[in-house]
Amino acid sequence: MNLIELYIQEVTRRLPEKSRKDIGLELQSTIEDMLPEDFTEEDVKEVLKKLGNPAVLASGYRDRPQYLIGPEIYDIYISLLKMVLPIAITISVMALVAEKVMGYSGNESVMQVILSVIGKGIWNAISTGMQVFFWITLVFAILERTGTGIAQYSMTTWQKEWKPEDLKDIPYVPKKKAITRWEVSGSVIWTAIWGSLYYYASNLVGVYRSGDNGLELTTPVFNEHVLHSYWPLVVIAILLELLLAISKFRIGKWTMRLAFFNLSTQFIAFVILIIIFTNNQIFATAFMDLLSIVSAGQKELIGAVIIIFGISAAIDVFSGFRKARI
Amino acid sequence: MTLLQSLTTELRRGTLTLAVLSQLRKPQYGYSLVQSLEASGISIDQSTLYPLLRRLEKQELVTSSWDTSESRPRKYYVLSEYGTEILQQLKEEWKKTSDELSILLKGEEEDESD
Repeated sequence: MNLIELYIQEVTRRLPEKSRKDIGLELQSTIEDMLPEDFTEEDVKEVLKKLGNPAVLASGYRDRPQYLIGPEIYDIYISLLKMVLPIAITISVMALVAEKVMGYSGNESVMQVILSVIGKGIWNAISTGMQVFFWITLVFAILERTGTGIAQYSMTTWQKEWKPEDLKDIPYVPKKKAITRWEVSGSVIWTAIWGSLYYYASNLVGVYRSGDNGLELTTPVFNEHVLHSYWPLVVIAILLELLLAISKFRIGKWTMRLAFFNLSTQFIAFVILIIIFTNNQIFATAFMDLLSIVSAGQKELIGAVIIIFGISAAIDVFSGFRKARI
Repeated sequence: MTLLQSLTTELRRGTLTLAVLSQLRKPQYGYSLVQSLEASGISIDQSTLYPLLRRLEKQELVTSSWDTSESRPRKYYVLSEYGTEILQQLKEEWKKTSDELSILLKGEEEDESD
């Protein structure tokens, strides 16, 4: 008798509270049915052996899924992870770079700052990755347990029933026209880098000399207040570039409209650059003095900057149109 | 478990519901069901059968009631109206499948003997 009660307890303790009593009673009567009239402990053992491992029996009764994320929503879970992880990691690293650049006091050498950014950046990337992984997994595990109905219909296919006609709505993206995710994050990172350089020009952009604390910035290139008086134009350029990156990400391939958008963004940025650099006061006098030592003039420097920027912008615009036309 | 064993289990799993439903036209309790299944040669793992019965009840194919009139209380299961309907349809499906398969397998045997 004792063995039977122990067996039933082993099964029912693994079951939800409300079904314990009923299943326990049924098991009890089933076991008694299986036993002969005058049974010995050996008979009981024989019967319990037939019923098998109580944990296995209990798991048969449970209708809760024994997995974290089921096949219906696994697809979308993986694709969401692949989409969100790189973006989150990029943002976290960018935030770190911005923080380091903004908090730059001039006491540390540039090399030290770069090394600490790399070290902390790796750590940030790992911890952000784990955070994102955890939260997305948690949300999907909850969805699996509560919203399977919703999940079945709307997650796997995003539609109730798949029809061959649905294929017509899917844009065909040839490899040559495609804009990769890396391209988009690359351009966002580039915007963040030049934006920070602009904001912290007087601390970052200049002539470096090796001093007591490693490299030291001795002569800033720009006249800070002149440079910063152009802030509304710079903000416009940053916004345009971000908007371009978002459109690239959403459309996913080069189209004529996108190519024209790219052209206007590059053109406006180019014009802003010319406006800023043709200001006579833009360079710091100390820097101009240094320049005259190597017998280079302001005009040559400005010319070089504008030409380099112009050529790279033209290449970018041209390749956009070329890809759009394929 | 060998590959053959797991394939066999998989093959049998679907037919189990049909076998159980077919025996529930008149009320049966757990162990009597095991015996009537075994009498026709179907051996069923008991740790599979009892949970299956509860699942069928949840799907409203069978109804259950406790009979306390005898010396030991027993839980009886019997087909519901819906269950009878489903059983009929499942039976037809099974006949179709089994006919189709026997044609396929017969063809294969002839190929072998060639």
